[in-house]
Amino acid sequence: MELFKPEFGLAFWMFIAFLCLFGILAKWAWPFIIKSMEERADLIDKGVAYAQEAKSHLDNAKAEADKLLAEARNEQAEILREAAKMRNELIEKARGEAADEAKKVTDAAQVSLEQARKEAEKQLRSEVGDLALQIAEKVIRRNIASDDAQKALVDQYLSEVETKN
Amino acid sequence: MKKAIAAIIAVAVIVLMALGYAEAAHHSDGQMHEVNAQEIIFEHLGDSYGWEVPFSHSKRIPLPVIVRAQDGSWHAFMSCRLADGAQYDGFQIAQGGDYNNKVVQILPDGSQYRPVDLSITKNVAGILIAALVVLLVVFKIKNWYKKNGMKAPRRFTAALEVVVDFVYTDTIRPIMGKEAPKYGPYLLTVFFFILTMNLLGLIVIFPGGANLTGNLAVTAVLAVITFLVTNLTGTKHYWKEMFWPEVPTALKCPVPLMQIIELFGIFTKPIALMIRLFANMMGGHMVVIVFMLLIFIFGSMFGAAVGGGMTVLSVLLSLFMLILDTLVSFIQAYVFTILSTMFISMAHVHAHHE
Repeated sequence: MELFKPEFGLAFWMFIAFLCLFGILAKWAWPFIIKSMEERADLIDKGVAYAQEAKSHLDNAKAEADKLLAEARNEQAEILREAAKMRNELIEKARGEAADEAKKVTDAAQVSLEQARKEAEKQLRSEVGDLALQIAEKVIRRNIASDDAQKALVDQYLSEVETKN
Repeated sequence: MKKAIAAIIAVAVIVLMALGYAEAAHHSDGQMHEVNAQEIIFEHLGDSYGWEVPFSHSKRIPLPVIVRAQDGSWHAFMSCRLADGAQYDGFQIAQGGDYNNKVVQILPDGSQYRPVDLSITKNVAGILIAALVVLLVVFKIKNWYKKNGMKAPRRFTAALEVVVDFVYTDTIRPIMGKEAPKYGPYLLTVFFFILTMNLLGLIVIFPGGANLTGNLAVTAVLAVITFLVTNLTGTKHYWKEMFWPEVPTALKCPVPLMQIIELFGIFTKPIALMIRLFANMMGGHMVVIVFMLLIFIFGSMFGAAVGGGMTVLSVLLSLFMLILDTLVSFIQAYVFTILSTMFISMAHVHAHHE
């Protein structure tokens, strides 16, 4: 059976051919091919990862924008509330101050009014005295009978005038 | 309409084939040629000094014969000088005997001497053509990457890349791990070389038709190389497992039972590789030829009409077998590669406690 007897010549050439083929391919072809394929696979993986990241960024961006908007709204409301509070406080303070001022003014007016009244009283008294004196003179001119009795009478009248006021 | 045309063509082909057979069978004086099936099978599966010109059985492409005579001198000449049993320079192709169909030297006393034969036979030429094809194919991929960088290849190169990716990324790397770049080139070369030889063997005419991987010498060389790579790169732990495995002492000490089994294992692995590839490829070729020969066997047994009818069946069966062999070509190349990968990685074991 010729088929089952390995032929030396054929084995020899097969060995040579295989070694040459292996030498050439292992030196110049396979490492380069393997490296290129792996690099490309890495590149594609990176590309996919990048795209996914970009997509998630995009999705996040909308959510983030919404969040920012909500935050801004909150802040706005806060500011408005603060402003209202401040306004109320200002008004309250102004009102208080105005009341104080008004009270002071009324007090001062009262004081001056009292003074004026006292002044007027005093003046009135001296004027009344003068008037009384004049009356008395007239009385005296008519009747200088009893001087003291007359004077007491005048005083009495004056006191009566005073209490009437 | 289309179906009708196809049916008419099919019937016409069948009739022509049957008629052609009947004509050929009655070629000379209405006598049937006797068919020696065994001879035809072994001629097709075996080696020869010269390559048949397509569609002609008698004309052959001459190939160089290189032999070392008994006196130690080297002789080289073209095989056409030995055609039809002619003698040249004391050499002749033996007919029958121990050295049937081999070049022998006719010694002065008339006896035959088988010289050291380094002829470029049909199979050697086939191997060289296969190697050349592998070179072209692999450098086609490499040049693509060199020229186009990261761009994805197209057409044939893309198909090749898929195969490289399948063998390297999906097979070698998971098994070899970080040693993959070191042994990848060897395993990829083995895969592509075997695949190319398998497929070239399926092409009936030149430059195919040489039964390369169905030849024991070829598969033996491949198996021996894997054997050498496996055992020369084996780690210390691999050899320790071989000669002092971690089994109960009774199994290894007085009678070295485990050692004998392990030692057998070293040799049975490459022998299994060699036989598997050889038997699968040779079997496929043989079945195709036998189906074809059925025409002539039936013809000589039951007459020309049966032989003619057999033509159709034989062609269909052969076609089926060739399609199956295409699949087997790929599978066997892959099996050889994956088993080599596993043998090499098994020789690179490290102690478990590391």
